Parts: sequence; C-alpha cells; structure tokens
Amino acid sequence: MNEPKSKLLMGIVVPNVFGVAIIGMLQLVNSYVSDSASSVFVFSNFIIVPTLMGIISAYFWRDLEMKTAKKIGWSAVVALIAILLSAFVLKEGAICLLIVSPLIIGFILTGLAIGKSMFKKNNGLVKANVFGVLLLLFVVDNLSDHKQLSLVSDTIVVNAPIEKVWPLVVEYEPIDSKEDYWLFKIGMPSPVQSTVTGYHEGAGRKCIFSNGYVFDEKIVVYKPNEELTFDIVEQPRDPEIMGHIDIVRGQFILRDNGNGTTTLVGNSWYKLYVFPEWYFGTWSKSITRNVHLRVMKHIKLLSEKDV
Amino acid sequence: MFDFTVKYLGALKHIPLFAHFFDAFLKINTLLFNPRVLDYIDAIEKEVESWPYVSVELHKFGGVQFNFNDYEIGHIHGNGTLDLLLNRNVKLELLNEGRITDHHTFKNSGWITFVIQTAKDSEYALDLLKYSIENRKKS
Repeated sequence: MNEPKSKLLMGIVVPNVFGVAIIGMLQLVNSYVSDSASSVFVFSNFIIVPTLMGIISAYFWRDLEMKTAKKIGWSAVVALIAILLSAFVLKEGAICLLIVSPLIIGFILTGLAIGKSMFKKNNGLVKANVFGVLLLLFVVDNLSDHKQLSLVSDTIVVNAPIEKVWPLVVEYEPIDSKEDYWLFKIGMPSPVQSTVTGYHEGAGRKCIFSNGYVFDEKIVVYKPNEELTFDIVEQPRDPEIMGHIDIVRGQFILRDNGNGTTTLVGNSWYKLYVFPEWYFGTWSKSITRNVHLRVMKHIKLLSEKDV
Repeated sequence: MFDFTVKYLGALKHIPLFAHFFDAFLKINTLLFNPRVLDYIDAIEKEVESWPYVSVELHKFGGVQFNFNDYEIGHIHGNGTLDLLLNRNVKLELLNEGRITDHHTFKNSGWITFVIQTAKDSEYALDLLKYSIENRKKS
C-alpha cells in the first residue's frame, strides 16, 4: 500500500480503535463505580471522544493535501464505522444511533478542524491548550454527578365532563389512529393500550406499546375524577431505552372547568443516563411529549364521543 | 440558517466547541448544496497562507482565521461568509459599490461581510483580504 493510502486508512482505523477503547474502558470503570444498573453515557462520550477522534484523523491526514469536501466525506466514513461499532459492541438500537449520529459526525468534523490547526507547524501552544482543555473537560465530566430527574408536562382540554374522562385515564381501549410523530412513523414503539388489575391504590397497571413491550406500573395515588399517579416498576429491556432512560413515574391530573369541559394534565418523570442534557434532553422531552399526546388525544377522542 | 443562528442563538457561541460544531454543519450544508464554495475556501486559504507575515488558524467561533503579523484580519465560515476588518473609509467606499455588506454582528465598525458563492467572488475575496492587509500595514 502506498503512503497516502495507508495514511488515509490509518486516519479511519486509529480513531475508531481509540473510540472503542476509551468508551469500553469508561463503561467498564462505570460498571464498577456506579450503584445503578444503568451505565451513564456522559458528555465526554458524545462530544470529547468524537472530537479527539477527529483530531487523530487530522494527524494522519495532515500531509495529504486533501480538500475540505473530501475530508467531510472521509469523516463521514469514520463516523459511520463508529456508529456501526456502537451497534455491534454497545448493542445500541437503530433509533438511538439515528439520534446520536449528528453529534458523532459534527464533533468528528470539529476535531478535524481543530486538528488541522493543531498540526500546522509552530503551533505547539495550540496543541498543549487543546489537549489540556479536552483532558480537563473529560476528567471533570466523568467525575460529575449525572443522575437527574426530569419532568415533562402536557395539558389538553377535553370537551367532556370529568366523570366521562376519568375512567379512560385509568384504562383505555387500543389506539388505532395513524401515527403523527415522525419517530413513531419510522419504527419507534408508540403507546397502544392501558389496562389495570383493580381500581384502587396498589393495583397493577400496564402500558402496552405497539411492538408488544409492556411497562409494568403500580398505582400509588387513586383519587377518582382528580388524580391518578403510578410508579413504573419494570420497563422493557429494549436496547433503545435500556441504560439510556428510566421512566420513573407517570401521572394524570384532571380539573373540572365548570362548563362541561375537563383540563387533563399528563406528567412523566424520568432519569436520563445520556448526556449532554441540552442534546439528549431535547430528544427525550420530544419523545415523552409525543407519548403523552398520543394517549391524551385518544382519551379526548373517546371522551368526546356521544357528548 | 447562518443568519438565523447568529441573530437568535448567538449566545450559544460561548459554549465551548458549540461554534465549531455549528461550523461543521455549515460545511456539510455547503457540501450538499453548493460544494464548489468549499473548494473556493480551500483555494483562498492556500493562497493567503503563502503571503508574507500571514498565518492561518482556527477561528474561535468556527471557520478559518487569517492573521497578519499575528493580528486577525478576517475569517471565513463554513458557508463561505467572509468577515473582514477594513478601515471605515474603505468600508464606506466598498459599501457604495454594493458587493459587500455591514458585518453581520458588528455594524458600527470597520468589519464587513462578503459572501463567497462563485469563482469571481473568491477572486474578489482575495482582493478584500489584500485591502485588509494594506489597512493593517498602515495602522
């Protein structure tokens, strides 16, 4: 193999070997240190590691006189391999990989731009600064507490009296309307039905999803025509959610508007194990919101029948 | 996208690496919709880097930065937006010619913005960079 080709190949292979090694090591350390069953994918995993991968590619490609358009193309190859390795090594689901891919490609390109500047001649100070900052971020981020409880709340008005809405909040027949959220359309499981084993606190509740997965819940507050709160006691072991998010609690609050209509509030609390929060929090809020809305619109539709 | 982000989400540039991440997506967008612009930026970078006392580095808010005697004279973002420092008189003269605009953030300064879209634009960008260096030499 001639030198440019081998450098090009090294710029693809070495960053991926580095990425797998560092993520694997972090997961291993995390599994010993963490008291939770879920591994935490911190800021470093999705930002600093791809940035360092880009810097490594830039090192191997520094003398190749490659145009920016080509660099983007080869960086996409580096990112694609990283994403495929995540699928095989970390057993990530397709939707997760779709969500994470803009971060991977974006930060590999960021690293490539930083690396290009770093590996210019007489840029020793830049090299030291960049490595120092990234190393500091990496250490601080991995030592920081990343467990936080988030709440998503949604409200709709149902044009039906509260007595008609309440039973449908507790349990409802299967949803058969068409999916209107793009992630549900491309295969993410959506809520289909809820069933209960009794109408009291302590009773079991099941939330069944379109792929057959079931969230096992326990009713902790049962106040007819007022509030239904349930804790999630077991969630499906799906690669799309396992180790990334724990749905902790769900709640419906009903308010009589005094004019024959009811305000229905849906709340969900969850713990996120993937960071940065500004990126993955946006996705998890959007997904949770659309789970809420699919259920709440169904309750609205059933409640408003024959009113 | 660039104007919207600069106008409404400008504060995000202070988050470490965010501006570089944004510039990465500007480049992807340029590659998809006007790939020649990336070649023009490469050519400008190569040409300007060969000029005496000029150095090229990564701009703190993403893109390629050009320095003359270690002072920044301008930078190009991944979508071909060239931001350049001139003196106010030259800026007024060029504004009257109608090819450049006020800088997208610093309106009342010597900074100007010129968007590179064609081969002719890239030649004009080189002229502007020369003006900026001449300006720097005089100051």
